[in-house]
Amino acid sequence: MGNCCSDVGGGMMAIGGTAPSTSAANQNDAADWYFKSRGIQGLFSQIELSFSATNLRDRDVFSKSDPMVVVYIQERDGAFTEVFRTEVVLNSLNPKWITKYTVTYQFEIVQTLLFRVFDVDTQFHNVAVKMLKLEEQQYLGEASCALSEIVSKANRSLTLDLVQREESVPSTYSQHRGKLTVHAEECFSSKTTTEMTLKCLNLESKDLFSKSDPFLVISKVVESGISIPVCKTEVLKNDLNPIWKPVFLNIEQIGSKDSPLVIECFDFNSNGKHELIGKVQKSLADLEKLHSAREGENLFLPTLVGHNQNKVLKSKFFVENYSETVQYTFLDYLAGGFELNFMVAVDFTASNGNPRLPDSLHYIDPSGRLNAYQKAIHEVGEVLQFYDADKRFPAWGFGARPIDGPVSHCFNLNGSSNFCEVEGIRGIMMAYTSALFNVSLAGPTLFGHVINRAAMIASQSLANDAKKYFVLLIITDGVITDLQETKDALVKASDLPLSILIVGVGGADFKEMEILDADKGERLESSTGRVASRDIVQFVPFRDIQNEGTSVQSLLAELPTQFLTYMRSRDIKPNS
Amino acid sequence: METKSSTLEITILSAEDLRIDKKPVKKNAFVVVSIDAFNNKATKMDREGGSYPSWNDKLVMDMPMQTRFITLQVKYCKSSSGGERTVGVARIPVTDFIGGYSPETCLQYLSYRLRDPKGLKNGIINVCLRLKEPVQNCSSQAAAEAVAASGGGVGMGIPIDGRIDFGVVTGIPIWSGYPSNSLFR
Repeated sequence: MGNCCSDVGGGMMAIGGTAPSTSAANQNDAADWYFKSRGIQGLFSQIELSFSATNLRDRDVFSKSDPMVVVYIQERDGAFTEVFRTEVVLNSLNPKWITKYTVTYQFEIVQTLLFRVFDVDTQFHNVAVKMLKLEEQQYLGEASCALSEIVSKANRSLTLDLVQREESVPSTYSQHRGKLTVHAEECFSSKTTTEMTLKCLNLESKDLFSKSDPFLVISKVVESGISIPVCKTEVLKNDLNPIWKPVFLNIEQIGSKDSPLVIECFDFNSNGKHELIGKVQKSLADLEKLHSAREGENLFLPTLVGHNQNKVLKSKFFVENYSETVQYTFLDYLAGGFELNFMVAVDFTASNGNPRLPDSLHYIDPSGRLNAYQKAIHEVGEVLQFYDADKRFPAWGFGARPIDGPVSHCFNLNGSSNFCEVEGIRGIMMAYTSALFNVSLAGPTLFGHVINRAAMIASQSLANDAKKYFVLLIITDGVITDLQETKDALVKASDLPLSILIVGVGGADFKEMEILDADKGERLESSTGRVASRDIVQFVPFRDIQNEGTSVQSLLAELPTQFLTYMRSRDIKPNS
Repeated sequence: METKSSTLEITILSAEDLRIDKKPVKKNAFVVVSIDAFNNKATKMDREGGSYPSWNDKLVMDMPMQTRFITLQVKYCKSSSGGERTVGVARIPVTDFIGGYSPETCLQYLSYRLRDPKGLKNGIINVCLRLKEPVQNCSSQAAAEAVAASGGGVGMGIPIDGRIDFGVVTGIPIWSGYPSNSLFR
């Protein structure tokens, strides 16, 4: 039974309206560096979750419940650790909490969150929320979901039923405990990137026997008056009328378009003591005006005496080009209705070993332990399934002889001759197990047919203008026999919205397979002289060690980059 | 017999690893796009690009339906004498972008291996192109002619292993000293 009266003073505390929290983000360095060098923010966005609930149970006698949400994250070993608490809302069974939880969205892992709602009975006026002891509060219910489930919804909101802790599945007679709604927002203050080409005329010569070697440093001025450098151009040798390469600035780096910026022009000296030639003080909005007016601004030098007078120079500063572009993130495309469609192809060649013997890579362990193929399907499928709207995945096998017929290098795993799709990851597992005992393993290992099938599906979707991007997972135990045919198929498919992940299982030496991954080698060339326009293949050997998850995760982490590169290069916007 | 034509928008993006006489090209590379001997256009020169030039130059050309290849010649200008030399040539079979995976009106990114006048590999060229009008707009006779000319369609192509391939074969002559102008008849 709850308290007699609630803590009214606590309900009157101010919440929210403070500066956003800055939590450390796990950034994917390589992809991040590429985009940051273009002024584009990283793909690993911060997401803010906000909570509201309806129809909560009333646990207090003379007033309503005072609910609070506690958020837990599931760690690698399956245990949940608490990460966040909202504030306590006074006297409400339909609360809308103000404090938001910031979490880094990582595409390549399934981030499972658990939300528990408590009715706070103890006094919470002037008490920090994290000091409240949960054992002393009334438990109202809980719900859990994956972060990708929330962000892949069109309105980025997910409503979950609250259940009692002991039940894993809500029973039909569960007492009504209410619903919890979680809403996700990306924490970008601005997605706009400015590209500017800057130039100067008539700079003064600072070097004795030659002209200056000028470069610019752009700094933002913070409240205390200190200037913090934001970016620096390249050094142009011996040039008194320099035009530098375009500079990319993200408005988030600077603060806002009206934030004051200091642009200083230095003369480069190899001893490190660069001399200031002159400077201007402008905001981004001023620079835009300078560009449209096609005017120059005189540089000035601050005088040593410290007066307000600055020595105005004859050198002028111009903004040659000024353009703003909006960079959409991966989550923007998801919100715009884009999908990632998962397809899988399994190697049924004889080199895997007889599936009925325990040392075969295809052995189905009666104790339930997954074999390498099942683990790979599970690892990739679990992450990608949330991004597929209808959860129907094409599944094929290759290198085997179905009951009546010759060796097929692309047969439907579900045994049908008309359609290749199965329902959900479970459907893939069931089709795989039944196919194992309905085909005889043969060979050789050829990828060409499966790649062509996947390319046909992607091409049909492209012709229907669908907003789909396809991911084909090929799990194999050996080296392919038809390297050139595979290269030809890959080159032809390189212009499609398709990415191919190849996972190698077993102990074979996969050195030759790495040729297919252009990260590790050269661009693929077909036999007709055509070269792959994109690198669509990622290859990783799936080793059965403790951190077996990480090799496949790094494979998955590349996918948003490939997706974005495809969309951006074709200028496909999320709201088309 | 009408000769219908479609409009081809081809943007020459960039080239990689261009060499002349085994040394990297220093500057002034440009590309000539030819549909036939008289229908050709050139991009601007890339003065600083060196052996990795980038042009991003969009050219719009008329492409008659009988066209089988689009030829790209990468040349460079020696600034002193003003003479131009061919660095490498690539031929795009029309079947690579018509009747392939992507619809022909869709922007397609293609890359090709360049070969120098001796037939040796010499870099890669990247382009993106699209047709303004879809192929079905042409008269059926011209379309059938184009398909027959490219070696496919009814009565052509003996199926092997259940597949009927009617692509175009790109042959590279193996003898050296082949006079380059006879490649474009």
